[in-house]
Amino acid sequence: MTATQASAAPAAEPILELDDLDVVFTTESSKVPAVRGVSLQVRPGETLALVGESGSGKSTVALAAMGLLAGNARATGRAVIDGTDIVGADEAGLAALRGRTVSMVFQEPATALDPLTRIGKQIAEVIRNHGDVSAKDAAARAVDLLRRVGIPEPEKRAAAYPFQLSGGQRQRVVIAMAIANDPALLIADEPTTALDVTVQAEILDLLRRLAAETRTGVLLVTHNMGVVADFADRVAVMYQGRIVETGTVEDVLLRPSHDYTRRLLAAVPRLSVAEPDGRAPAGDPRPDDGSGGGDATAPVVELRDISVVFGRGKRAVHALDGVSLVVRPGETLGLVGESGSGKSTAARVALGLIPPTSGTVSLFGADLARTRSRARRALRSGIGVVLQDPVAALDARMTVGECVAEPLRVHRRGLSAQERRGRVEAVLDRVRLPRDIVRRAPGELSGGQRQRVSLARALVLEPRLLVADEPTSALDVSVQESVLKVITELQDELGFACLFVSHDLAVVQQFARRVAVMRAGRIEEQGLTGETLLHPETDYTRRLLAAVPVPDPVVQRGRRAERLATLAAGRTGAEA
Amino acid sequence: MSAVIQPAKAPGTADTPRETSGTRLAVRRFLRNRLAVAGLGVVLFFVLFCFVGPLVYSTDQTHTALDQVNLAPSGTHWLGTDAVGHDELGRLMYGGKVSLIVGLAAGALATVIGTLWGAVAGYAGGWIDAVMMRIVDAGIAIPALFILLVVSAITTPGLPGLILILGLVSWLVPSRLIRAETLTLKNRDYVLTLRAIGGTHARAILRHILPNSVSTIIVATTFQIADAILLVAYVSYLGLGVQPPATDWGGMLSAGLTAAYSGYWWLILPPGLAIILVVWAFNAIGDGLRDAFDVRGRG
Amino acid sequence: MSTPSYLIRRVLQAVAVIVIVTIVVFGLLHALPGGPARGILGPQATAQQIARFNHEQGLDQSLPVQYLHYLNQLLHGDLGTSYTLNAPVSRLIGERLPKTLVLTVLSLVIGLLLAIPLGMWQAVRRNRPADYVITTLSLIAYSTPVYFLGLILVLVFSQVLPWFPSQAPQGQSLAQVFSEPQALVLPVATGAASMVAVFSRYMRAATLENLSEDYVRTARAGGSRYGAILRRHVFRNSLTPVISMLGYYLPVLFGGALVVEQLFNYPGMGLLFWSAAQASDYPVLLGCVLVIAVATVVGTLLADIVQRIIDPRVKAGRA
Repeated sequence: MTATQASAAPAAEPILELDDLDVVFTTESSKVPAVRGVSLQVRPGETLALVGESGSGKSTVALAAMGLLAGNARATGRAVIDGTDIVGADEAGLAALRGRTVSMVFQEPATALDPLTRIGKQIAEVIRNHGDVSAKDAAARAVDLLRRVGIPEPEKRAAAYPFQLSGGQRQRVVIAMAIANDPALLIADEPTTALDVTVQAEILDLLRRLAAETRTGVLLVTHNMGVVADFADRVAVMYQGRIVETGTVEDVLLRPSHDYTRRLLAAVPRLSVAEPDGRAPAGDPRPDDGSGGGDATAPVVELRDISVVFGRGKRAVHALDGVSLVVRPGETLGLVGESGSGKSTAARVALGLIPPTSGTVSLFGADLARTRSRARRALRSGIGVVLQDPVAALDARMTVGECVAEPLRVHRRGLSAQERRGRVEAVLDRVRLPRDIVRRAPGELSGGQRQRVSLARALVLEPRLLVADEPTSALDVSVQESVLKVITELQDELGFACLFVSHDLAVVQQFARRVAVMRAGRIEEQGLTGETLLHPETDYTRRLLAAVPVPDPVVQRGRRAERLATLAAGRTGAEA
Repeated sequence: MSAVIQPAKAPGTADTPRETSGTRLAVRRFLRNRLAVAGLGVVLFFVLFCFVGPLVYSTDQTHTALDQVNLAPSGTHWLGTDAVGHDELGRLMYGGKVSLIVGLAAGALATVIGTLWGAVAGYAGGWIDAVMMRIVDAGIAIPALFILLVVSAITTPGLPGLILILGLVSWLVPSRLIRAETLTLKNRDYVLTLRAIGGTHARAILRHILPNSVSTIIVATTFQIADAILLVAYVSYLGLGVQPPATDWGGMLSAGLTAAYSGYWWLILPPGLAIILVVWAFNAIGDGLRDAFDVRGRG
Repeated sequence: MSTPSYLIRRVLQAVAVIVIVTIVVFGLLHALPGGPARGILGPQATAQQIARFNHEQGLDQSLPVQYLHYLNQLLHGDLGTSYTLNAPVSRLIGERLPKTLVLTVLSLVIGLLLAIPLGMWQAVRRNRPADYVITTLSLIAYSTPVYFLGLILVLVFSQVLPWFPSQAPQGQSLAQVFSEPQALVLPVATGAASMVAVFSRYMRAATLENLSEDYVRTARAGGSRYGAILRRHVFRNSLTPVISMLGYYLPVLFGGALVVEQLFNYPGMGLLFWSAAQASDYPVLLGCVLVIAVATVVGTLLADIVQRIIDPRVKAGRA
């Protein structure tokens, strides 16, 4: 191991020690090495973050350390937890270790719990796996654990089923199971990736507090540099199955030595934050180049007082409640909010996919509800669409060429096959994809390539409006950066307006001229990005911004202290 | 313990290009499934047996030969003769032709009706879907055998009629499958994108939903053929089958039922085993296709 | 959704299905060659006799009026009168239905008791020789016509090995049916065998799906042993889809009973139906179809309600 490690935690023996760990997957067609020669150590009381992009092998390392690898994976080397080598250990030995010495928190709280068993019972099961505890005592301890992880009314909630809890609460239950027997090591595999940013902050606070209380060593697997800055003491960067750099969190995030780490950090969108004294931030958001129209020009799309109600009677859900939005020619409006805020619903109303319960939508100056179907279809030729999931976005039965040509077949039926091919090739050039990609199947492409194909399809009719619903959320940061760059350049070139939906405030800050913050079906506030996201007017936006972890451990430490202080003040204020 | 562990995809497929296309992968998966390949072999064998066999092993299946009834297997009659003196092996080929044709045609018909019904209900949604699916519920609530018996009490259909009736009583299950598939597909991002830019419903259905349902439809058809061949056997047993001197495996089996107690095993085992083998083969192929295409289907 | 409103909606759906069934049955009744009159009066009846009969029976009224009349009769429990047995159809069915239920319920319970552990065991031993052998055997059983299976059982266990009678109990009352338990063995075994074939397949598939769920990994990460995970978590989660299948499987069950009763000469509703078909006794035929359809709809409803009790998510309308 490197010298930085020895200086980081001098005293205690490591609780986890990986030594030259290799993992190979046998797939239908070949053997794929996922982890190659990984060595690392976690000591009691410290948090080691294992970071990398998808496919780097970081989650495989975590599963190998638990002995939970899939059946087609083979591990070699050593993975020692508290003196026991996990590689080659028998199942009985592993069962004795899991849940007592080492525990794990998983990424997806929605599926991590047995849907048919009450949560108290699931926690009690872990307790009783490792001690001669009566059912009654275990149940009582489960209630205590629920209280420790911050579940309100733990006595009552112990009898709840997982589906009755929110995602954040479910993750708290998983954490309660993990800490039930005070493990010496906690392995957290992307524990906050599926959660909203405010919930993420709470879960990270909880994990930090619990780990500190019991001097538990934590192996934190994540792709999010902000989370690393917030939580980790040391960082190991993985790339293509290997660890390329290890060091303290300050060293790796602020003074990266490996070229890959530098590139990775450069690609991370950074949230610009107002300094406490109110002076302008260092990184400037996307400048307003003035090419977009001022407020005088007619909007390309306008939502006026839109409400959307799903269902009827007592079960009715108000997905949108009096939402008004305007996107003007050439400008980008960022629509941000947490899950369930209604931002995607609003985008779908603008696209005409969801009819509003009340209010009017006008597209290029025409009221959608009053246009006839033929005219409405013609109007829609001015829209381009890119949605979140790169896999579902393209029909797997078509070639890339057919996918991109589809809008032409809908709206430009007069084109000859040759003209069509010409247009498709031209737009593929624009999104920087090679022309010979037209004959490939979407399944053969990477996620980033697929999103570019979607973008090419959206732009082939040279639309006046691009609606992009989380177009880069499923992509790695480096891929996200290049896709966003392509959109920006094409927007400058072609001058289309853009309705950009995202949960990522940093991305919106870079990308959008104006922003609307949504919460629970309403617009909380809207304005120019540079003002609204730096000096928000509402408490909610302030809280949202404060919860975003920034990938700078020094700045983040200050932000966390400030946020906790605000929370504490709020709490005492509320009690008073 | 390795028993609990599911094989997983190798990690890191998110941004690394995959090298094989879906169809080729499906074919390879299917060919690696030994039971499915065996099923394919069995089906091919019986097709050759029933359609080419009579050219090689020619027998008289129209005239009775009352001087040589219920003969045990011998050099001249490899599988013996039946109660009216027909050569049993020749009859197995002759009856198999009917069983296979009716089974294939009825299975295909049921899938076609079921696909159209399910696709329309699923795509239309709302009250149209509700009404159409209640009709399916009602159809499923009446066992097919009961309907077939009622029909047999009313009329004696010919071969096309038989195919039609069998098709009409067995489209309900595939219609449910296809409806479920359509419900998922119509909310896929590429369909939503098409509709957002002004694509027509016809285009969504013809270009996206139907092509993407193909694997589900193929799997459903295979199971449906298996069920139809089995149903043909029941139909003859219940007396609704093709009329003598024509026959099918089910008819041979029910004709041989009484003979079984007299020890004439060659009159029931060959048609019985033929039915079981062919139905098993189609089910095994269906299982193999379902796993290869990775679609949801029966069981 | 709250339980009462769920129940109301489900019951309304069930009623709609039954109404559709009555329309089908009514339609079949009028699709008879020559209509019901020809069926009742026989092929020798003159046109005059038929006209008088049609007038007396109200058959010269418009179809909707006749349908309402028919519904009214049904609501009063009147399913018509058998042409051949000269008795009300409702009484005939009333006598025989309990016997059929005994046969089907016995087959079902025994079949499920075997199929559920078998399916789980197959999933656990997945892709090993034992799984291949059992999967193939159950698929063969699934592909075998029930009457052929019954015949083989009779040949082996009644002819070659004289262990059980080849005829089912012949008693008129339920008590008499149970007084000859050994005579029930072969019919029940035949029915149960086809149950095992179908439900072991479902259970195997459901168990396999659940074994790959995330919660199994969570339980393992908490130190639970394999056997305990199967018992506490996988079993219940796999059972719920199988139970919901059960409701839809009832029609097949009744179809099987028809064949088994005919084969073993068991005096249940299947046999009644069979002989009615031979004699073109339409009121009996259509009465039986109606009763079975109603039984199926009610059974499906019950299966849904049982599933609601087992699976809390269904109750909340989320699954």
